[in-house]
Amino acid sequence: MINLRLKIDPLPIDEPLIVRLQGPGLPARSHHDAVLAEVGPDRREYDLNGFSFGVYAGSDEVIDGDVLMMMPGETTAHRLIRAGSAHNTLLVTEQCDQLCVMCSQPPKKYHADLFEQFTVAASLAPHGAMIGVSGGEPLLHKERLFCMLEEVKARRPDVGFHILTNAQHFSRADLTRLQQLDHARVLWGVPLYSATPENHDRIVGKPGAFAKLEHGLSILMRAGASLELRTVVMQQNWQDLPALADYVSTRLSFLTVWAIMQLERIGYARMNWKETFRDTSRNFDQIARAVDIVTARGLKALLYNFPLCSVPPAYQDYAPSTISDWKRKYLDFCLNCRAKKTCGGFFQWYSHPEGFASLGPL
Amino acid sequence: MPVVPLKFRPHQDGHFLFADDAGGYFKSDQAFLRRYAHDRLTSGDLEFLKGNGHAYDAVGDLAYSGFEHRFAERLYLPREMDYVILVPTLRCNLACGYCQVSRVNEATRGFDWDDTTVEAVIGFLDSLSARKIKVEFQGGEPLLRLDVITRIRDFCRQRFDACEIVVCTNLQEVSDAAWHVLGGDGIFVSTSLDGNRITHEKQRTITPGKTDQFFSNLDLAVSRLGSEKVSALPTIDPHNAPSPQEVIETFLNYDIRSIYLRPINYQGFARKKFDARGSAELWNKYHASFIDALVEHNWSSEIPVEEYYFVHCLRRVLRSGHNGHVDLRNPNIVGHSYVVIDYDGKIYPTDEARMVTRVGQFDLSMGDVFSGISAETINRLNAEALNNFHPDCVHCPYQAFCGVDLVDDISRYGRIDMPKHMTDFCQRHTSIFDRIFAMIYSDDPKIKKTLALWAGTPHFDPLLAKVHR
Repeated sequence: MINLRLKIDPLPIDEPLIVRLQGPGLPARSHHDAVLAEVGPDRREYDLNGFSFGVYAGSDEVIDGDVLMMMPGETTAHRLIRAGSAHNTLLVTEQCDQLCVMCSQPPKKYHADLFEQFTVAASLAPHGAMIGVSGGEPLLHKERLFCMLEEVKARRPDVGFHILTNAQHFSRADLTRLQQLDHARVLWGVPLYSATPENHDRIVGKPGAFAKLEHGLSILMRAGASLELRTVVMQQNWQDLPALADYVSTRLSFLTVWAIMQLERIGYARMNWKETFRDTSRNFDQIARAVDIVTARGLKALLYNFPLCSVPPAYQDYAPSTISDWKRKYLDFCLNCRAKKTCGGFFQWYSHPEGFASLGPL
Repeated sequence: MPVVPLKFRPHQDGHFLFADDAGGYFKSDQAFLRRYAHDRLTSGDLEFLKGNGHAYDAVGDLAYSGFEHRFAERLYLPREMDYVILVPTLRCNLACGYCQVSRVNEATRGFDWDDTTVEAVIGFLDSLSARKIKVEFQGGEPLLRLDVITRIRDFCRQRFDACEIVVCTNLQEVSDAAWHVLGGDGIFVSTSLDGNRITHEKQRTITPGKTDQFFSNLDLAVSRLGSEKVSALPTIDPHNAPSPQEVIETFLNYDIRSIYLRPINYQGFARKKFDARGSAELWNKYHASFIDALVEHNWSSEIPVEEYYFVHCLRRVLRSGHNGHVDLRNPNIVGHSYVVIDYDGKIYPTDEARMVTRVGQFDLSMGDVFSGISAETINRLNAEALNNFHPDCVHCPYQAFCGVDLVDDISRYGRIDMPKHMTDFCQRHTSIFDRIFAMIYSDDPKIKKTLALWAGTPHFDPLLAKVHR
């Protein structure tokens, strides 16, 4: 498993500090760059503007170019951006106004605001990086979020964002700012679980959410934004999928991609697993219909988080590897599978006895 | 609840096909039509119409915006010019019966680009803002000017980030040097293969020796370049057509799975000998039998085959934004995203505009490579090249899927204001769309299988064939 925190010998700081770890022989390019001074077997020594600090990492671990956030008094640093990974996500808030039955990151009451630090971190990312923004609900701090996007765009137009939001908080007043973002570099990931308003509202635990979502989506459309529509497949919306595909093709044909997603067994999804998980390895019909409908309509559907062997052959091309590197694992039988290279495998917290019944090497 | 305007047309089973301006469609009956016409829609009707994207609660809501988006995506917006058709010579080493105005004999002088023209064409290409370019060499027989092909190729390779070059050749005489050029990166071959050997000989090669020569070159092209780099178009005389099965078999012999059937396109005086209505009818009949044959073929064969243009039309029915084909667009703005440069350096918006000018009907040229583009005439034509408000099209449920072709109208009738239903263009497309909807609403598993293949989906879902009762 990839570590998202690194043990450090900390600096005496009284506010959060963002540093980028430079590789061997590379000079500092900004005052956030720490120059590599010494490499030991399990510890590397860096120099940051004349102060030295240590980072514990095995000799085989690549941390060059990584952006760390150190918190006052903490002996581990957050690895905010791993330079070698395409799966970097900033958790900008843990507050949320929905309570989804399958939430993998259940909300918390209080918000620790680190937008300033995240803005610096994103500006230090490798060239062309696509950085995830997640929560909680990022748009609860809309002004802070927009400022971060605008500032990073001004400093680093090559850096993009993939923002997960429930789209409940867009208003007409946001149109101009949304229009000015670079649509090729900002992708909004928005969940929609059913075209039947009551079913969607029940799943997200918020009456009226569907109506607000429709409003938010129409604003994204008007702004010319790029949309990744996200639908987690569950027992609760299994029967709704073909009608949802129909809804998507009449209402949301501007989308970049419709992601049909398997469940991530963590948070509430773990708690509600038995009533929520739908074993799509045994019966794939409704997903097949949804994919058929939107594909014929010229829209792009993709299956996220589906092990390839759970997907019928005709639909395997729709299932790219999507589980983030640090969350991913493979099972015993994957060893003999010829598709392992293209398959995203399983979430670390997937439990096979309670999971897919009908899997095996391809 | 406001309902968007619905257009309708009797369907073959006695019910009606309804469609809106954004291309949303469904089938219903006479009783619904009456309720719709008399403004007595039931709550069940409204619920269906809303679900299917034909109704909305308020201007600006998601149903409304979704409709707007689908509508807008169906309109073709010309991009920057990134496609140029070049005619470096009119000379040809074949004398096909249907090619009267776009060729001269191989030895005729005065129908080639000279050095000044070549340099002017290069200057023209150099002036384009596109970073990628597609160049198509037509003729005459462009392989007679291999020197020009290589010169332009070399220029494009260094000037553009990417270039694709298509050589439209009769594959009759291919020198070693020509094979070398055709085998290059990003070079594609497009040729004619008129259905089967007998027809090909009758329409094109005339003597068995020349026929052998063509087929052995086609063999070579497929084996040396790969079938993915070779396309072949069959020109069909509906009065004298090879059987669909023979055509399919011939193409499969060369592993070509997409067949773009083209009716003989008589030009100038020859066209006037054929009554448009009669020839469209005959063509439609042949085309329909060809689709039948493909459905049969696809049912039992491992290797699916398509009729290129029919599949294009099917996808235009199912989707917005499917505007990639120059022959079917609305509005059909010409002379912007691509042009044709003739043997004398004159610029035309389309190949057919070149013919119209050559036979002296109208001058549809738009300047030349020496003094640049002058698009006044063409822009006046473009102002009419829209079917959305055309009085004959506004009531047609196929309007959103269809296009206009004013150059074809001029070529056939000398005018652009013929009643649409009397034009060859309208008759051919009405027939194709009738057939597409007959297939969409068919229960025949053979038809469903072919529809899925052509729609590009594993299965053709029943929700794509909604019936409202």
